[in-house]
Amino acid sequence: MSLKTNVTYYPAMPSAFKEKLLSDEFIVTSEISPPKGVDVSSVFEEAGLVRDYVDAFNVTDNQRAVMRMSPLAMGHLLKERGLDVIMQFTCRDRNRLALQSDLLGAYAMGMENVCIMSGDYPTKGDNPGAKPVYDLDSVQLLGAMNQLEGGYDIAGNPLESAPSFTKGAVCNTEPDQPLQLMKLEKKAHMGIDFFQTQAVYDIGHFETFMEGISHMEVPVLAGLIPLKSAHMARFMNEKIPGIRVGDELIARMESSTDPAEEGLLICAEQIRELKKVCRGIHLMPIGHYRHITALFEMAGLHEKH
Amino acid sequence: MIISSSKPFEEILENLDDPGKIFVLGCGVCATKLHVGGEPEVEAMCRKLRNAGKEVIGGGVAKAACNIKSKESLLENDPAIERADTIIVMSCGSGISVVSSLVDVPVHPATNTNSLGGYSEGHVRKDLCAMCGSCIADFFGGVCPTARCPKGLMNGPCGGAMQGKCEVDPDRDCAWELIYLRLKEIGRLDLLERIFEPKEYNG
Ligand code: SF4
Ligand code: SF4
Repeated sequence: MSLKTNVTYYPAMPSAFKEKLLSDEFIVTSEISPPKGVDVSSVFEEAGLVRDYVDAFNVTDNQRAVMRMSPLAMGHLLKERGLDVIMQFTCRDRNRLALQSDLLGAYAMGMENVCIMSGDYPTKGDNPGAKPVYDLDSVQLLGAMNQLEGGYDIAGNPLESAPSFTKGAVCNTEPDQPLQLMKLEKKAHMGIDFFQTQAVYDIGHFETFMEGISHMEVPVLAGLIPLKSAHMARFMNEKIPGIRVGDELIARMESSTDPAEEGLLICAEQIRELKKVCRGIHLMPIGHYRHITALFEMAGLHEKH
Repeated sequence: MIISSSKPFEEILENLDDPGKIFVLGCGVCATKLHVGGEPEVEAMCRKLRNAGKEVIGGGVAKAACNIKSKESLLENDPAIERADTIIVMSCGSGISVVSSLVDVPVHPATNTNSLGGYSEGHVRKDLCAMCGSCIADFFGGVCPTARCPKGLMNGPCGGAMQGKCEVDPDRDCAWELIYLRLKEIGRLDLLERIFEPKEYNG
């Protein structure tokens, strides 16, 4: 290895995640939140429950603007335990100096999988007075990552050694939203390895979306949130952008004697259908891990490891 | 007073893609005092555009571009504005934004708006212009995302908008929704495809 600049440096075992994206294996990622504190044992426990089914854990970054441990630290700790991780990375909390230095740090610790997003506004979270940063937007952050991979920082200064990321971004799946599609095009244009979507409930709708973006040739992981009650479905319809739970599903939840079980059943059915439509799923269980292994088995997703 | 400076003429020309009939509008407040958008500057701009082979149908100076209340009061400056295919505005970013909202043709800035020079005499519309110093509001149909999107997103909306309202304040329209409607209105949806580099904050 030459000591000149622009050499790609592999400090840790290269992640299997990118290879899986390139294969035709159905991919399963699962969201996991760092603790609001310093004790990570409950995170290890949750991850341990499903680790055999999951290709990579997606570690959230002060999600919904609620302050928690850094995904950089949590991701590293999971990685040390042999779990593959995708680090989520928002534009909300860091300017371009901090974004770039954290990205270099993540790579040096073996976390080359990064999923970027704008980030919910601080007033949505538990530190509402925080100064919003948004120095770069998600398209510009992808540009900065390309630049780092090319051996330069965003201002054009040479790096001593360069990273190589597996880059992901998030998207909504409404096929009739020209602005969302336009932004998706821009992200794809910047070079992206996967898209992770907002929670999908209407598979037909999702198929239309997939057809609309097929020319981008980017692997898509469909977001899934198992329903727990009809109330939860209505709440999401009203409050969460990009989520649409259809009346039929709400009725099913309503008439069930065990709505939580029904929600898992619905989710398992959806996974079976999604296997025909996209490259994988991204599960966002809300305080639900214990039942997730059962969900995977119902959906015909068996232990991988 | 709002501090603006003239854009290089070449930059203005570059952004005029098939402009048709042009009207040049200055502003009688800050831009006049700073000699970037008073009568002499408007006249000089008309002349330069004509020399560059463009069709200029008139020029005028609004009393205060940031404070034009309606299309009628805009036309009071010169009825010829009605016939223009393109309007070049020589005022601060607020004026560009206000004029854009009143007409259905492309509006281009001839100035960069840099800062609030100490006091504003009420002529500051920080909700319309963040005084970034390098005006590109015309690429967004005069709806400046730096000033009007709380996240300042230049390459498209965040995923937080609901029914066209902003994630941060549901009483307010998502700036990108307004940009879309406006670009559609002036037939320039192609501008949405452009990828914008990060803003520079070193003045
Ligand atoms: S781009 Fe926006 S903030 Fe900058 S001068 Fe123009 S209107 Fe003002
Ligand atoms: S909803 Fe629209 S205006 Fe509000 S932050 Fe997102 S993109 Fe900006």
